[in-house]
Amino acid sequence: MGADEGPPSTSGVPSGVGADGPDAVDPGRRKFLIATIGAVGGTITAAVGVPAIAFVTGSARTATGEEGWIRLGSVGSIEPGAAPTLVKATIERRTGYLVEEQEVSIFVTTENGQDFVLLSNVCTHLGCRVRWVEAEAGFHCPCHNAMFGRNGEVLAGPPPRPLDRYEYKVEDAQLFFKEA
Amino acid sequence: MQPAANDDRLKQTGDWLDERTGWRGNWTAVFLRKIPKVSWAYTLGSATLFTLVLQFVTGILLTLYYVPEPQQAYASVTYITNELSFGWLIRGIHHWGASAMVLLAILHMVRVIIYGAYKYPREVTWLTGVGLLLLTFAFGFTGYLLPWDQRAYWATVVGTQIGSVPPVVGGFTKDLMLGGPEISGLTLSRFFGAHVWVLPSLLVALVAIHLFLVVRNGITSPPKRDE
Ligand code: HEM
Ligand code: FES
Repeated sequence: MGADEGPPSTSGVPSGVGADGPDAVDPGRRKFLIATIGAVGGTITAAVGVPAIAFVTGSARTATGEEGWIRLGSVGSIEPGAAPTLVKATIERRTGYLVEEQEVSIFVTTENGQDFVLLSNVCTHLGCRVRWVEAEAGFHCPCHNAMFGRNGEVLAGPPPRPLDRYEYKVEDAQLFFKEA
Repeated sequence: MQPAANDDRLKQTGDWLDERTGWRGNWTAVFLRKIPKVSWAYTLGSATLFTLVLQFVTGILLTLYYVPEPQQAYASVTYITNELSFGWLIRGIHHWGASAMVLLAILHMVRVIIYGAYKYPREVTWLTGVGLLLLTFAFGFTGYLLPWDQRAYWATVVGTQIGSVPPVVGGFTKDLMLGGPEISGLTLSRFFGAHVWVLPSLLVALVAIHLFLVVRNGITSPPKRDE
């Protein structure tokens, strides 16, 4: 504006045609305006866009399970050398404002009644639940026909690693585990 | 100073697209059209449009966490505001943006009145504008209930009571708004549905017509002394 602002035109220029005639474009000014629009627009997009990413990923980043030791059951119910026993425990999971009870199932084995192996029943391939098959002395996953050995090692099929183990401790003849 | 190869490639791509879509003509008609000498007051419509875009972006983000259900609505809003990263910001923009948009739309309308821009041939632009303003109010009214706190609840009690004022049809109008004789989970559902589906669809359609008319008719010159 400014410099080229003449006296009000009375020639009845139709709206849609600038008062300077159709071709009066100052390339420097145009460049400057385009750059300004780009800079301001970019700043605003970033100012909303970056928080938006933090916002969208928020509840996925901060979900929490239970802290510390969780009681699984009494040691006495696990017989040395016997088939893995499936023991269930309920834990609290907080996702966003939702607090939900969740059941975890753990296969427990012991050879001597002192040392235990706590295996997750979640297949390490794509997350189906495995089942103990006595006849084959292994865990079978029905989804893609995987087999895991008694201690979780992969015997057959696509799983990339053994079944996950839980940390555990024994106190007053009770078995405790920690959420992975 | 010419990174010639790059410029050429860009131009070629542009030409290729233009041959098939005719985008250049439209681009010129919309963004490179001639406008008369105008003042900052003419930016109020664009400012309203900008807040509208912000409302869409932040509103869509809020629906990722907000749950329109009596047991969860308040809890989800509290979570968004107090715990979620940048939840306070996204909700804050949406909250204050709602007021800003009403204010800007009204200022824009005042500018149109002062400059006499509602006159021939722009009466239809004005009429679609009236529709836009009413829709903007409706957004505010339906959005206000969604946090499901005391203020939201009582504001809706009052607001829907107003709907019951007209004789004969009043009682039913109120029940229709509430989805029953009083505020319930169904009220929350329909306010949410209106707020995120019905009103945005109508608003987008009307804004499109409004802007089409603005481009088609050109912007008014500020009135001259001897007009
Ligand atoms: C959602 C709300 C609205 C949006 C996004 C919007 C957007 C726009 C935009 C971008 C323009 C271009 C010129 C300018 O910015 O002044 C415009 C022009 C216009 N608007 Fe709106 N507007 C809205 C509401 C209204 C309302 C409430 C009215 C009046 C009741 C109205 C009446 C007009 C008229 C008559 C013009 C033509 C002005 C001229 O040619 O100089 N608009 N609008
Ligand atoms: S999920 Fe278990 S084998 Fe694929």
